[in-house]
Amino acid sequence: MKVVLQDLVKQYPSSSSIAVNHVNLTIENGELAVFLGPSGCGKTTTMRIIAGLETPDSGHVFIGERDVTDLASKDRRVAMVFQNFSMYPSMTVYENIAFPLQVLKLSKDEIDRQVKEAAGLVGVGHLLQRSSRQVSGGEAQRVALARSMVRRPEVFLMDEPLSSLDAKLRIQMRTEIKRLHQETGTTIVFVTHDQEEAMSLGDKIVVMDHGNVQQVGTPQEVFFNPRNVFVANFVGTPTMNMFDGTVKPNGGGLCVDLAGIELKLPERFPGASTGMPVKWGVRPESVKLVDDGQPGDVPGTIELIEALGSRQQVFVRAADKLFSAMIDALHPVRVGENVHLRFDHRGTHLFNAQTGLSLAEPH
Amino acid sequence: MAISLRQRLSAYVIMGILLLFILIPLVAGALTAFKPQIIWVSSPPVWVFQPTLENFEFVFIQRQNLLHLRNSLIIASGSVAIALILGVPAAYALARFRFRGSKGLLQWLISLRMIPPIVVALPFYVLFQTFDLRGTHFGLILAYLTFLIPLVIWMMRGYFVEIPSAMEESAMVEGYSRLQALRKVVLPVVTPGIIATALLNFIFAWNEYFLALILGGRDTSTLPVAAATYVGRARVEWGNLFAVNLIIMLPVIILTIILRRQLVKGLALGLVE
Amino acid sequence: MTASTEVKPVATETGAFRRWLYRMSQKYVHWFFIAPALIAVLVVAIYPIVYSTGLSFFRVTFDSRERPFVLFENFAWVLNDTDYRVAFGNTLLYVFVTVSGAFILGFGVALLLRRITVGRNWLRLVLLLPLTIAPIVVGLTWNWMLDPLFGLINWILTGLGLPPQTWLASTSTARIAVMLVDIWQWYPLIFLIMDAGLSGLPRAPYESARLEGASEWTIFRRITLPLLRPVILVALLLRTVDAFRTFDLVRVMTDGGPAYTTETLSLYLYRTAFNFNKLSRAGAGSMIMLLVIGVISAIMFRYLYRDVERH
Repeated sequence: MKVVLQDLVKQYPSSSSIAVNHVNLTIENGELAVFLGPSGCGKTTTMRIIAGLETPDSGHVFIGERDVTDLASKDRRVAMVFQNFSMYPSMTVYENIAFPLQVLKLSKDEIDRQVKEAAGLVGVGHLLQRSSRQVSGGEAQRVALARSMVRRPEVFLMDEPLSSLDAKLRIQMRTEIKRLHQETGTTIVFVTHDQEEAMSLGDKIVVMDHGNVQQVGTPQEVFFNPRNVFVANFVGTPTMNMFDGTVKPNGGGLCVDLAGIELKLPERFPGASTGMPVKWGVRPESVKLVDDGQPGDVPGTIELIEALGSRQQVFVRAADKLFSAMIDALHPVRVGENVHLRFDHRGTHLFNAQTGLSLAEPH
Repeated sequence: MAISLRQRLSAYVIMGILLLFILIPLVAGALTAFKPQIIWVSSPPVWVFQPTLENFEFVFIQRQNLLHLRNSLIIASGSVAIALILGVPAAYALARFRFRGSKGLLQWLISLRMIPPIVVALPFYVLFQTFDLRGTHFGLILAYLTFLIPLVIWMMRGYFVEIPSAMEESAMVEGYSRLQALRKVVLPVVTPGIIATALLNFIFAWNEYFLALILGGRDTSTLPVAAATYVGRARVEWGNLFAVNLIIMLPVIILTIILRRQLVKGLALGLVE
Repeated sequence: MTASTEVKPVATETGAFRRWLYRMSQKYVHWFFIAPALIAVLVVAIYPIVYSTGLSFFRVTFDSRERPFVLFENFAWVLNDTDYRVAFGNTLLYVFVTVSGAFILGFGVALLLRRITVGRNWLRLVLLLPLTIAPIVVGLTWNWMLDPLFGLINWILTGLGLPPQTWLASTSTARIAVMLVDIWQWYPLIFLIMDAGLSGLPRAPYESARLEGASEWTIFRRITLPLLRPVILVALLLRTVDAFRTFDLVRVMTDGGPAYTTETLSLYLYRTAFNFNKLSRAGAGSMIMLLVIGVISAIMFRYLYRDVERH
């Protein structure tokens, strides 16, 4: 089902800041939308409003064509998987999965059939008689997944369901959620603070901060065309190189002056004008190290090298600024070596320093 | 931690002495309950004797302490039941919801435990005369609630705080109302806590003397009040007294032994949280 | 699983009243749970406090028909009464000695138990037995133990060649005897709380301290005590508040005697109201007592919350 959030506002009485600030959002039917942001950004609150666990101060929630804003959670036909809770401790795996079905007054055989089907789908069919104490964290999370599926909800809500699992299991479960989504075609809303998780899962990423939606877009859009400084900084590991500067005229075009480094601006930034204070950024992946400089390259000295398996992150000091570059691990470098930085212009970004908004042409 | 043998040995010795101090009065007292009148008091103490039940016969039949036992049971279990029914939901709400003044309300409720019983006794005494509650079980139950409700709230809140709120929220999303979710999902998990809370409150109500002395009528006297009547100005009926003492102690000790796990864990959680 | 989303037609427009009802039920759901307890507490606790306060400004006995308003007469009378002041002093001493005694014993036992490996659960059970026994039973049992003629204590003393004592009848020993019994009865509460506190301590700081070669005593003072501060405060607060109201034990052991050396506030107030029929004076006296307890526990509460906040 399609989920539409209309001008949602929520403020907690105990807090001075606003938890959800006029959020408008449409999640299409069958989409997997990821809410991404640091803790306290309002992503979980927004999800809890969709679930009916919080009531918004104003605004509306639609699921399909229904306005569910004033409907109790139990009547919304959504399912939710929680971060710090997976199994009802007083019940076995079987009873856990059957729990949402019991309220529907189905026949015993029907419940049995559905429980087994759901358990099989997430791979806990062999654990049905175990108690909650006899299953591992990953298995318990699968049970939670099965329990959320049996009611055939119109929307799945997942609040950081993988954050309590270890790294390997997390990636495995990620794949399974993706598979579940492809097989059922049900709309999923997924909350996480892990941007890698968001990138790998989402059809659509909703970046949030301080209760505001910062950007909505595909993983590619959010990564390659961040709408503002916050998104540029938050998305991507390692984080983007970003420096303060001023726009200056340069021949026929414009350049940005980063106090010691002058870089020619490509045509992509129609918003830039002479004298404007800006933030200029480049992702480490778009920084190359070359030995012999050409005009436009920036000379510097290697200060630190971090090996990251197939890649290595190299920190280069240039004009008193520290740039990080992500390069192939086989590229020979050593600390103290003089190199030239070359920026791939498709990977550079320019933001208005006052508003924080991108100066690139809109997509 | 590496503890030397000497340290360990001395720990056992000190603990042993402590146990003697705890157990000797209790055991010696309990034995006296089974002594015939001639050796109720004796110096040196008599340890070996033909046990008799005549003291129990006397207190139950001659002095009708069976009635007092009944009163104690009705009043203690009645007040604990009511305190739980009223206090557990309040503890849940104070653990779960943050609202304007929730913290202040909690502190205020807990601080009610500080009220000296005399402050309660006076008005209740006058009130009971007005409403003819003197000599009813209900009157004493009401008075006990003053101390039991804050204690229930204090202890049970600790348990509810331990349970992730996602537990009942999950059930609420899965088709249950909040009340159903509480009954089916949260209640089974807090049952050990409820048992510990009930036991501790029962102990308090069962052992209470001050309010029972002032507010209890002739027909509603509880066992502690009855026990005190064996202490005369001139003479104490020691054997009979210890028979009653044993009747007061036994239920509590048996319950404590049966529920020791829940009690120790429950007290720790409830009081320390 | 193909999601055969069986869309049942649902009324998209819920009535305005139902919407309002839902909003209200969401907003005020906590009162639904709290109200019953709150109402009960107002009846059984607040009403008596208000009544007692009121009482203390009038002149009231059990049989008085007229109840003239006398403002602070009762307070003045009580504060000028030597017996009240003696009882107050006794109570403060009683609270101080029994709370410190119970704390030292209770904490000590909790620490000692850490060193014991065999039968710890049963030990714990026996150690907390005194707590479960009615104070009046404890008092009467110890009366018997301390009896100058046939008491076990004197029997042991004479066995050791020491002179027998009239423990509860002599002014020099009555106080200390009653206090010791009080400690005997109530140390388990402290023990239970400290035991729980100790088992909840994290391991890491101890391991690192030991690696750095800190002595056991330094570890206790620098790590255990600071970590246990909130727990210690809870234990002290609980015990202090209870010690102030001690009645049963003293009532059956000495009834305030000999020569008022064990007279506590509760005993005094009980006598004033129910033996001397001076209700309003007892009311005034209990108000002052409530005030003192309130101030003391407020200070402790403050410390406690400052600690909890800092965590």
